[in-house]
Amino acid sequence: VDSILHGLMELVGVRATMVLDPAGQIVAWRGHAAFDRSLCERVGGVVTKAIESVHLQDAGWETISAQFANGRILVRRVSPSDGPGHVLAVVADPSLNPSFATVALRVAASKVRTAAEGGAPPPAAGAQPGVFRTSAGGEAADPASAEFLARCVKELARHVGPISKVYVQEAVSRVSPGAPFSLAAARLLVEDLSGQIEDAADRAQFRKGVLEKR
Amino acid sequence: MSYLAAIASLKEVRGAVVGDLSGRFHEGIGEEDGEAVAAAFGFVASSLAQAGAQLGLGALRIVSVASEAQAHLVLVRGGSVVTARVDVGGRSLASLEKVLDASLKGEG
Repeated sequence: VDSILHGLMELVGVRATMVLDPAGQIVAWRGHAAFDRSLCERVGGVVTKAIESVHLQDAGWETISAQFANGRILVRRVSPSDGPGHVLAVVADPSLNPSFATVALRVAASKVRTAAEGGAPPPAAGAQPGVFRTSAGGEAADPASAEFLARCVKELARHVGPISKVYVQEAVSRVSPGAPFSLAAARLLVEDLSGQIEDAADRAQFRKGVLEKR
Repeated sequence: MSYLAAIASLKEVRGAVVGDLSGRFHEGIGEEDGEAVAAAFGFVASSLAQAGAQLGLGALRIVSVASEAQAHLVLVRGGSVVTARVDVGGRSLASLEKVLDASLKGEG
């Protein structure tokens, strides 16, 4: 997801870009200095209220574009669902080409959706021997580790929804940087992922669900 | 000519409502529940105006909400919020924004 947002940041005029969950919390973010994460979190909450109101009026909405005197906010739904769902948002200055940005946002939203719903690309030609491409979208050192990652995605999804796959991929890159994930880092991974669950009882249930089945 | 008359005279417009940033309904045409439209898009406009202020983007001018079948264009003029439900019909939203924006020049 980070690389998708990085791609959007390369568009002329884009100052910040983020993925918001249905509660308006930032799932991923990139921005220039003046548009730091704290500011984007506040803005994300306000934009989400607007999205909820739009959703009441038109449940099939796909994009929202707000044009201001000195810039734009563009929002695109990541995937059609019963509720407002996750959205991709861009903050831009007046130099943005809105038509170009609309296309780029559509492509980026599609990539985020693929990442969230399990459409990881097939193994690359010449992939390292002994490295297993997992259904969770990352790389594992062996089949047992790959199975553990898949279980993490499934258990976490009970608490955070389909974005769990993205969370697992990001957590793996933190606990096992530059190397395939192995079960030696399992507890570290579970602790990292637990941070995505707000409720303490749900966190405990998640830990139990993934660690006791090993 | 009023905002409503100016907007409703455009061939792409299927319904239009004039309200304000607090969501109050002033007048409308072609919408079954104009009060609901005014409330929803008044709130959308005021929320996005707040977001724009936090980001230093200046005054909110136009909001476009697009779905596969239709689009709502919300034009903010002072305290007034003019919402038009439009048939996109293959045209770009940007071109429709310009048409509606131009139609309100000098109105009110």
